[in-house]
Amino acid sequence: MATHAITVDDATYQEVRDQRLLGFLFFLISDVIVFSSFIYGYIYLRSTVMAWPPPGIEPAALYMAGVNSIVLFGSGATMHYAMEFFKHGDKRKFVGFMIATIILGIGFLSGQAFEYFNLLHAGTTWPSSIYGASFFTLTGLHGFHVFIGVIYLITVLIQAQKGVYTQQRYFGLTAGALYWHFVDVIWVALFSLLYVWK
Amino acid sequence: MQAAVGTAHVPHGHIHPPPDTFIKKYIFSQDHKVIAVQYFITSGLFFVLAGLLAEMMRAQLASANNTLLSPQTYNEAYSVHGSAMVWLVIIPILTGAFGNLIMPLQIGARDVAFPWLNMFSFWLFPPAGILLFGSFIWGAPEAGWTEYPPISLQQSFGTSMWCMAIFLIGVSSTITGLNFLVTIIKMRAPGMTWTRMPLFVWATAVTAFLSFIATANLSAALLGLLIERTFGVPFYDPAKGGSPVLWQHIFWFYSHPAVYIMILPAFGIVSEILPTFCRRPIFGYKAIAYSSVAIGLVSFAVWAHHMFTSGLAPWVQLPFMIMTMIVGIPTGVKIFSWVATLWGGNIRLTTPLYFVLGFLSTFTFGGITGIMLASVPADVHEHATYFVVAHLHYVLFGGSVFGIFAGLYYWWPKMTGRMLDETLGKIHFWLMFVSFNATFLPMHWIGLEGMPRRVSTYDPQYQDTNLFITISAFVLGASMLVFAYNAIKSTISGREAGQNPWGARTLEWMIPSPPPYYNFEDIPVVLSGPYDYGKPLPYREIKGDLSYMPLV
Repeated sequence: MATHAITVDDATYQEVRDQRLLGFLFFLISDVIVFSSFIYGYIYLRSTVMAWPPPGIEPAALYMAGVNSIVLFGSGATMHYAMEFFKHGDKRKFVGFMIATIILGIGFLSGQAFEYFNLLHAGTTWPSSIYGASFFTLTGLHGFHVFIGVIYLITVLIQAQKGVYTQQRYFGLTAGALYWHFVDVIWVALFSLLYVWK
Repeated sequence: MQAAVGTAHVPHGHIHPPPDTFIKKYIFSQDHKVIAVQYFITSGLFFVLAGLLAEMMRAQLASANNTLLSPQTYNEAYSVHGSAMVWLVIIPILTGAFGNLIMPLQIGARDVAFPWLNMFSFWLFPPAGILLFGSFIWGAPEAGWTEYPPISLQQSFGTSMWCMAIFLIGVSSTITGLNFLVTIIKMRAPGMTWTRMPLFVWATAVTAFLSFIATANLSAALLGLLIERTFGVPFYDPAKGGSPVLWQHIFWFYSHPAVYIMILPAFGIVSEILPTFCRRPIFGYKAIAYSSVAIGLVSFAVWAHHMFTSGLAPWVQLPFMIMTMIVGIPTGVKIFSWVATLWGGNIRLTTPLYFVLGFLSTFTFGGITGIMLASVPADVHEHATYFVVAHLHYVLFGGSVFGIFAGLYYWWPKMTGRMLDETLGKIHFWLMFVSFNATFLPMHWIGLEGMPRRVSTYDPQYQDTNLFITISAFVLGASMLVFAYNAIKSTISGREAGQNPWGARTLEWMIPSPPPYYNFEDIPVVLSGPYDYGKPLPYREIKGDLSYMPLV
């Protein structure tokens, strides 16, 4: 495929890139809507009860999620640097920061798995209550997005190593970075609403 | 005709190599025109199946306390009828079929922005239909097309299949919407500014926006229902602390915009057909275009009018009642603009125009009963009666389906290269128009008298009216056979249509029928709006380049 890309002139490439960028932004908007629906459901269910979490339910710990947030935001920073180094042609640092991003992403998922394990151990399961339903659905949906993101970044890294992207044409990388930052932003909302909001 | 457009880059859209095998050409095709025909055929099949379910219900309702269908079968029939007509027929035909067939041609593009996604979106659709109709094996859903919990939580596995089916349709609709909106924003021919776009493209743009914004909510709501049914996770079940009203909020936050997904493209079709057969510019181009946008935006703020009997606080009901009535204003702007286009036009009474005139009368009627239902006190009285059934069929059948047939008769020559028989078309129209009104008009009366919807029996006092409705419904079903015969006859021995049989001015009529693989060999340059009848055609061409564009 890489050899074909060279046959497309710059103006045409630019045109196609713009279409894909817009399409990708629309996809992200519809994804925001999916999260918004579940967040709305959470706030709605929370407003129907007096105490949150409902009595007898062990909530998720703030400090654990705090550490995990730092890991995820850190991965956002490394992703940003990876993009910058790619644009400036520093291949070695690009690969380094990409690997760092992927490792931090996996770190976040591991932290989440640990958190889930603790909660399930304390008896807060998915079907246990509207707390479990809201918490596990929202964080699970987000975790699923992070998982997809990690897979995508690994794919992009392999593609980059194969030389699919050039310094002028790297939409796959742009999409990966946008998606990764999007997952970060969603986490800001989820962290505030699920952990910080008492 | 070579026009000087400077050295600006001429967009020519994605070009993929022409397909070489049968499968690539007709099955997994990425050509928007082939995908459109695939949508027409698949939706047409589901239209027949869902229509037969309706006829079954009418047979049951022919007499009071009839035992033709068991109450359970009757419940399944109306639930699948509604779900199929909304998600497998009207939405796919208006967006997937007409949107795919006409929109890229009207903006002078060679295909949509993402042909592969277009193909993928279509192929989510047949499995959804199989899941929905296959649910009868395990017991189809019985809570209507809205599937309110907690009933939908207590039903058999068929309801989970319903969830999966509608989820697939939702994803398909989201992808198509995103694809169309990018196409319209980025791939218009040189010179086609927003206010030079045909009105069908305007309608498709707003519909596409609604599709990918609103449908994501439906996906979330369905995911929640499926999770709750499968794993017992409490979202909607009041016994476990969930809230059934939560489902209603999210469902209607999608499904009210979905009503406009089902009608805006029909508005677009009407706006194309009227100027063509009145031989004059459309009245109020900008008013029609911008009122589509207004309808699209307001549609997100009216959902709770479906929930006036769900126990919302009065201070919540009132703004929704007002917002709902406000939708009548942009819709009225359209109706008056269409009537004003007819006024003083040099009218040619062809079959497409017959259907448009039918649309204008029946849809306006449905719109007016909609305003009645928007009023909280009236709605509390009319809720869940046949008045609502009558209203929604006047909007979705009298509006959307009449619009669909108008569009079919209008663009059939472009799609197939052959004309439909005008006489048969007019017979179809009169049979359909008369039997449609005979079927659904009396439902208003028995509804106001209190006959409830979604019940397989009724009080014997409604006997005579119901028998009349049932006979009319059978005639309505039979009228579709006239169209089927016409379509077959046209395919076998129809008159050659030629490039522009109606003398229309939009871009799809500037190329051969059916259009060649790349639509436009030379790139059209648009010099003014599409409806200036009596002036020279507003197009020039620049030499295109037909090189393929393989992409990373």
